Amino acid sequence: MTANDQEDRQVSADGFDLPEVEFEKVNKYFGENHVLRDVDLAVQDREVVVIVGPSGSGKSTLLRCVNRLEEIQSGEVRIGGEAISAPDVDVNRLRQRVGMVFQHFNLFPHKTALENVTLAPVQVRGLSKSEARERGLDLLEEVGLGEQADSFPAELSGGQKQRVAIARALAMEPDVMLFDEVTSALDPELVGEVLAVMRGLAEEGMTMLVVTHEMGFAREVGDRIVLMSEGEIVETGPPVDFFDNPKTDRARQFLERVH
Amino acid sequence: MGETYAEERSGEAVSDEGLLTDERVKLVGLAVSLAFTAVIVGFIALVLLEYVNYDLLISVAPRFVVAFARVLAVVLVSSVFAVTLGVLVGLGRVSRTGVTHSIATAYVQFFRGTPLLFQLFIIYLGIPSLWPPGGFPISRGWELAPPVLVVDWTFITAVVALTLNHAAYVGEAVKGGINAVPSGQMEAARSLGMSYVDSMREIILPQAWRNALAAIGNDQVILVKDTSLLTVIAFPEIITVFREINSNQFDAWTPIVLVAVTYLAITLPLMRLVQYLENRAEWGTGG
Ligand SMILES: Nc1ncnc2c1ncn2[C@@H]1O[C@H](COP(=O)(O)OP(=O)(O)O)[C@@H](O)[C@H]1O
Ligand SMILES: [Mg+2]
Repeated sequence: MTANDQEDRQVSADGFDLPEVEFEKVNKYFGENHVLRDVDLAVQDREVVVIVGPSGSGKSTLLRCVNRLEEIQSGEVRIGGEAISAPDVDVNRLRQRVGMVFQHFNLFPHKTALENVTLAPVQVRGLSKSEARERGLDLLEEVGLGEQADSFPAELSGGQKQRVAIARALAMEPDVMLFDEVTSALDPELVGEVLAVMRGLAEEGMTMLVVTHEMGFAREVGDRIVLMSEGEIVETGPPVDFFDNPKTDRARQFLERVH
Repeated sequence: MGETYAEERSGEAVSDEGLLTDERVKLVGLAVSLAFTAVIVGFIALVLLEYVNYDLLISVAPRFVVAFARVLAVVLVSSVFAVTLGVLVGLGRVSRTGVTHSIATAYVQFFRGTPLLFQLFIIYLGIPSLWPPGGFPISRGWELAPPVLVVDWTFITAVVALTLNHAAYVGEAVKGGINAVPSGQMEAARSLGMSYVDSMREIILPQAWRNALAAIGNDQVILVKDTSLLTVIAFPEIITVFREINSNQFDAWTPIVLVAVTYLAITLPLMRLVQYLENRAEWGTGG
């Protein structure tokens, strides 16, 4: 199964004509601040794209444009070929196709782990409570938290919270998952368990856009590394090329600082 | 090193610390509170033993029971309306729709910026005078459960004024409660595809409610005490009964004791209810 997926991914990365996520000449401003500059990026089905770059370079903003938590000023973002900023687009339907995991978890504190996972499927997709519950328990089991289904977020460790957050996003059966520095707020000893879940997802063939400072993870799990600097994509390539043979000065400077 | 440091801090610093040791502060606090309690308890005992006329107390107590029930009826209705309307006002105050926001803001400014007594008069006197003399349709009212529950113009005025006034305060509490919910909560809900309304109802408001609960509860206690103003529109509430007895019997302390007991019979359980609700909202932190 895993071997097959790997093959699939290779094929789709090269040969598919319809990228899962596509940025075309995207520009984003916060007031005067030009945060994304003519960004072009295509993420293929089943591809894992890891975005790296210094703080403030626009990585989070890039992710947040995918599900329109931020609006862009020019250019186009497409999901499965569909332009998300078109005037008649139903943003709630669009967001169901994009799962997002945040640095600070953003779990709902007044709901148990299971309720966190089942809320949107019931509210948004109209699943029955029992159906959502069954699937929610499966998902929690998958991220290793079957025992914690009835715990409130305040009773969980950071690593457990983040795994619930991943399960919550997966419960909507998204086509793409966005991860924004999801291990940055964790104690070092809890980082591994979250990365392991993400690795598993990648192996199952999930399309992923991952912002991270974990270079080991980027090298092993990423199909492609994207380096951002001051709102621009300055280098992109497979991990081997990016880490061992960077083409640009900025990539070399960046790698010197993180190593 | 340590000595130099102590020397540098000589004079007032050291003598200050000499006076304000934890042990001494504790003792002084204990002495003051005991003395205070002794004075109060002594005074209450004096009043109860020397100044309260128990024959009168027993004979007028039923009138306070009726006043208690009337006030409780007004409070329950007004409080439910005020909190409901207050949530809407709070939502209006955080709305990004300009018109909605402006209307909610103007509402809050008017009802917090003018006295409740004045608002009572606007409704009690102002509204009926919009009709030609004698033409106001609600004068006799409906005797739902006399003498406690008579829904006449006085009762309606009381409920409407208390509701409108306290909805403004509840609205500010709700607004504060909403703003105290981290923005990541709304983002997480929206990123799951939930609508603004669903996100507000399922995610933001339950947390805002907990944040605002103490302030809302505090306001409901004030609402109870604000019913004393209803005496000026001849609503036979607790203070009205007090004034009648005081002027007819030339006795101050007997009705004073009854007034205190009657108000506390409403406010103390209310405070307990608020505390209970606050405890219940401590999700997964032992509550
Ligand atoms: N909500 C916002 N309002 C104004 N400026 C913002 C906002 N979010 C981000 N920025 C600015 O946009 C730039 C990129 O930020 P961000 O995407 O968070 O960078 P990164 O995730 O790479 O650290 C920074 O200059 C930041 O100050
Ligand atoms: Mg960021």
